[in-house]
Amino acid sequence: MMNSNPLLQQTRRHFFGQSAASTGALGLGSVALQSLMNRGTTFAGEAQHSDHPLAPKPTHFPAKAKNVIFLFMAGGPSQLEMFEHKPQLSERSGKPIPDSFIEGKRFAFMNSSHRTNLLGSRRTFKQYGDSGAYVSDLLPWTAEIVDEISIVKTLQADLFNHAPAKLFMNTGSGQFGRPSIGSWVTYGIGSECDDLPGFVVLQSGPRGPRGGSVLWGNGMLPSTYQGVPLRNQGDPILNLSTPESVSPDQQRKLVDVVNQLNEERLRQTGDGEIAARINAYEMAYRMQSSAPDLMDISDEDQDTLDLYGIKDPNESTYARNCLLSRRLIERGVRFVQLYDTNWDHHGGPTETLEKHLPSKCKDIDQPSAALVKDLKQRGLLDETIVIWGGEFGRTPMGEVRQNTGRNHHIDAFTMWLAGGGFKAGQVYGKTDDFGFEPVENSVHVHDLHATLLHQLGLDHERLTVRFQGRDFRLTDVHGRIVKELLA
Amino acid sequence: MKLSFFLVMIASPMWHLGQAFAEEVAPDFSKDILPLLAENCFACHGFDAEAREAGLRLDTREGAVGGGRTGVIVAGDAKASELVQRLHSDDPDLVMPPPETGKSLTAEQKQLISAWIDAGASYDAHWAFIAPKQPAVPDASNEASHPIDLFIEEQLGQAGLHSAPMANPATLIRRVSLDLIGLPPSPKEVQDFVNAWGEDSETAWTDLVDRLLESEHYGERWGRWWLDQARYADSNGYSIDAPRSIWKYRDWVVDAFNRDLPFDQFTIEQLAGDLLPEASLEQKIATGFHRNTQINQEGGIDKEQIRIDSVFVRVGTTGTGWLGLTVGCAQCHDHKFDPISQKEFYQIFAFFNNQDEPSIKVYPPGTDVDSINARRKELQEQIQEQIDANAEKLDVWEEALGEKAKNALSSSIKKVLGKQPGKRSFDDQVLLLSEVEELLGEEDRKAFKSLRDERSVLGKRLNDVPTTMVLSERGTPRKTNVFVKGDFTRPAEEVTPGTLSILHPFEQTETTVDRLDLARWIVDSANPLTSRVIVNRIWQQYFGAGIVATENDFGLVGARPTHPDLLDWMAVEWVKNGWSFKFLHRLIVTSNTYRQTSRLLPSMDRAMEMDADNRLLWKQNRLRLDAELVRDVALKASGLLSSKQGGPPVYPPIPDGVMGQGQVRRSWSVSQGEDRYRRGLYTFVYRGTPPPSLKVFDAPEGFSSCTRRTRSNTPLQSLNLMNDAAFFEFSQSLAKVIEEDGVSEAFLRCTSRQPNKTELELLKGLDELTVARALLNLDETITRE
Repeated sequence: MMNSNPLLQQTRRHFFGQSAASTGALGLGSVALQSLMNRGTTFAGEAQHSDHPLAPKPTHFPAKAKNVIFLFMAGGPSQLEMFEHKPQLSERSGKPIPDSFIEGKRFAFMNSSHRTNLLGSRRTFKQYGDSGAYVSDLLPWTAEIVDEISIVKTLQADLFNHAPAKLFMNTGSGQFGRPSIGSWVTYGIGSECDDLPGFVVLQSGPRGPRGGSVLWGNGMLPSTYQGVPLRNQGDPILNLSTPESVSPDQQRKLVDVVNQLNEERLRQTGDGEIAARINAYEMAYRMQSSAPDLMDISDEDQDTLDLYGIKDPNESTYARNCLLSRRLIERGVRFVQLYDTNWDHHGGPTETLEKHLPSKCKDIDQPSAALVKDLKQRGLLDETIVIWGGEFGRTPMGEVRQNTGRNHHIDAFTMWLAGGGFKAGQVYGKTDDFGFEPVENSVHVHDLHATLLHQLGLDHERLTVRFQGRDFRLTDVHGRIVKELLA
Repeated sequence: MKLSFFLVMIASPMWHLGQAFAEEVAPDFSKDILPLLAENCFACHGFDAEAREAGLRLDTREGAVGGGRTGVIVAGDAKASELVQRLHSDDPDLVMPPPETGKSLTAEQKQLISAWIDAGASYDAHWAFIAPKQPAVPDASNEASHPIDLFIEEQLGQAGLHSAPMANPATLIRRVSLDLIGLPPSPKEVQDFVNAWGEDSETAWTDLVDRLLESEHYGERWGRWWLDQARYADSNGYSIDAPRSIWKYRDWVVDAFNRDLPFDQFTIEQLAGDLLPEASLEQKIATGFHRNTQINQEGGIDKEQIRIDSVFVRVGTTGTGWLGLTVGCAQCHDHKFDPISQKEFYQIFAFFNNQDEPSIKVYPPGTDVDSINARRKELQEQIQEQIDANAEKLDVWEEALGEKAKNALSSSIKKVLGKQPGKRSFDDQVLLLSEVEELLGEEDRKAFKSLRDERSVLGKRLNDVPTTMVLSERGTPRKTNVFVKGDFTRPAEEVTPGTLSILHPFEQTETTVDRLDLARWIVDSANPLTSRVIVNRIWQQYFGAGIVATENDFGLVGARPTHPDLLDWMAVEWVKNGWSFKFLHRLIVTSNTYRQTSRLLPSMDRAMEMDADNRLLWKQNRLRLDAELVRDVALKASGLLSSKQGGPPVYPPIPDGVMGQGQVRRSWSVSQGEDRYRRGLYTFVYRGTPPPSLKVFDAPEGFSSCTRRTRSNTPLQSLNLMNDAAFFEFSQSLAKVIEEDGVSEAFLRCTSRQPNKTELELLKGLDELTVARALLNLDETITRE
């Protein structure tokens, strides 16, 4: 636990010891000392914990889950090729969609001449598990875990372009500069890891997700709560390595002398912020070894590597990131987000439903299922929420480019959740015969956010930050806890 | 109902600390009651008629006390008032505020409301909506004579506290140098100042302050302060985040501070410089203020939606920046707390709805564009004459061209030849004649070349110049409508430009009104807000928190000023002195309040117990430096700092892979020469992928107006200072200083003081590089004490 940092404890004892004896150079009274050790310099609206801003904080009410792993399929995976079995859509494939469906809707790129005929899926669907959930042939591994997960068919979002939609899924707003869900969670309840950041981002796929680092930005929260990308190349964390010409011994000496000098300054000035900085240097130093330890998976046995389908342990893949996410959770990291890019299957030459989508599914199917199984066998699934999904889904209509693909669709798309007090083996929500719109139990992104926070012991209406005169929330003025999803 | 001393102490915020406590204290509506009602009641019973529940409004006395079913307050009788009964009710269906709002009042707060009702439930206006009158400076009860000190000490005295001793001169010169120019003093400057201080401290201090305010670095320091509020950055934002050119606006801001452009003029030029009579180029550049909005270049977007989004941001930023009001909240509905209607939001919107958003060329001073154009025209005519004179020769040459010879020609010539002779442009013809120069005689050839060369040099003078983004007014105004729920696809009632009715009147002098009228209304001396808002934000830079802690919200739910009289006195004094920033800075830094020690001393136990956040200013505060200054201090200490000012943004080294984190990979070709060592202010900032060493120390990305930076304290900052290649390079340079001049010199460069014995002992036996790295990592080095 962070607040049991031995150095700070020692520092604290040291100061209190000194002042109790009234002999030390510091000579501060006890009230001043308590204040400086406990609160540091805070001003209205800026609730900063002096010792450790990331220290675990009390929840609003008892939590069902402690951690989150968010598997983000960036680009918008096609629910109609993966989870939504729609025989009617196949029957009417090639026919125009009835006007009643699209009246008053706005679509991305719809000013151009994209056709709007219905497109049936060519995948084969079967029912699996006790829940009888439909899963297509693209996801044989996921099919095996349907009794562990809640599949939600009726997610709804507000924005249909990639970057705003990703922001919306992450921050509850399409505006840049709002805190992401991982930032909200660490702001709300801190983290239980004292040598890694509380909110970590892992990436796979050919490029960064559209929207970039604002997707894990801290917005108007202190930068303490920003998501920290663990990079696959170079230092896993920016500036993690000691400069090349510096020996480990020199680095240790550096941290020691900086902290000793800072302690001396703390003695002279009585400013609690210095205690926080001493702590930060200790954590930074620990991070220098803990992050490489985390990334080095050579201590995992072959069965585990096989479970995830990891062939080369050094190759940066989604599978490796899934395993890393388990390792992060084991170390007490609060919120892990995996981005896998290139899920945007419009029908262009490199974005077909026939070739490229199956290849993406192959990348993620086994590892995602393995993560759920692995967490379960290690007893971590109960306290960890796993979420799978993208920023939106795809239209029941075909979009004709060089091939026929599908456009962005925000009115009904599929995500799944596992662990963390979510019901296992459930299919929730139902869409119409084409999968265009929910016919029952729609779940808005705001509702998803409210429910996630709820499981973590946070009331989405009370988790606020005041900025420019207004209380901001992850769920804005919306959000319903979807109780039916909970065990 | 009598309120005990104790009750008032815990029920109301800090500012009561300094007041004398009589036996009976009737709560003050504006100070004690209005904030409670606003925070807990107004969302459903306030200004916004749409959201109003049960037809009850508590933001006016008529609504609260009025007869009939809506009156929930019986003036003079708390017990008989439904409001009080509801506040105390145990019934979840009756109790107010309703449990699901998550809001509740403490017993003391409820008692305050009862006391106020018993005393007659009088309403008066919110303090910030009444123009400040300059209060009298409190009488000097001791040696203090500076007006700021008299105000501060008056309240300290009432709380039984007193101000701290003055900091030592070395701390003071470092403090004021960082505050005024953002750079630490050199060891020699420290020594000279300490000597002068020994002779005559006051003269030494005022001389120092004068010198710093005259420094060209002053504009860099305070320009950055304004650029935060202007949401300045060097890219377009959103997912594409392409680079943009608007650094001329940044340079304008720096320069405006250096020449102490009065704030009213500073405001007018930025909001409406283009509309001033005979607007100068500089005044047009100033309108870049409102071009610091993001531009979405994604496919599939609706351009009008993006334009309207920008205007929304401009309205909100103007409200926050100058009025300290959350005007932006009224975009979708009437404001929940403050008397700002949705219609008024769109009336301000109307001022900003009538612009084009071009980039203009910024020619070097003295460039006479007209005469260059005239000369270019002349040259063109002379060249044309030559072309015409050789037309026949050209025709012959062209006709004689064989297929093979034609294929050997360059593609651009082939392209020209592919056009009908009559359809060839002037440039085409020039190109063609240049290709067959040998057809011309020796003399003609020389003349042709010299004409072309001169024309091309002039062309470069016209075109190879930086551009900057500005506003320019459209000839035909756009119509402005209220948008239902802020949704641009749902226009409702049409509106014309106007301002907030709760503030001073907007006087329409001409038939048409534009941004210039809005700007003048904002800096009208009758405006109760602008001078207070800016004075407060300047104060905040010096003490870490404003007199009004919610520096961007002076509305009903904003914090109350801790020192209302001081705020008003300074606001009026500032306007009287011509809105001069330098005047205001000098006023603050010459006070003893500013010069107190920032250390926590044993004698401060009682103060710490009463006022742990130091809102009464019984000492100075230690403040971690802004991100750019963390860099600047290390650069200065290591001797690498470039003093070059202004110009295009630069690209100091950043870690590999950072620029690949956005949607579009942007290049970052590291600047060479002194541009590698420029102040942080000049580093190129991509909104989507800001430079990590700035971001990690809380520099804003320019998505929205930033009126106060957070000061976080994280392990990533430690990693940055210890291991970042740029900081490592600074350490190597500082290590050389240690080799040549010793540890103390390097220590002095970082902290402006000599190390003590303990500190020297700790550094002993370490190699120079480790010592240098340690010094640049010290909390003290990155802190203004």
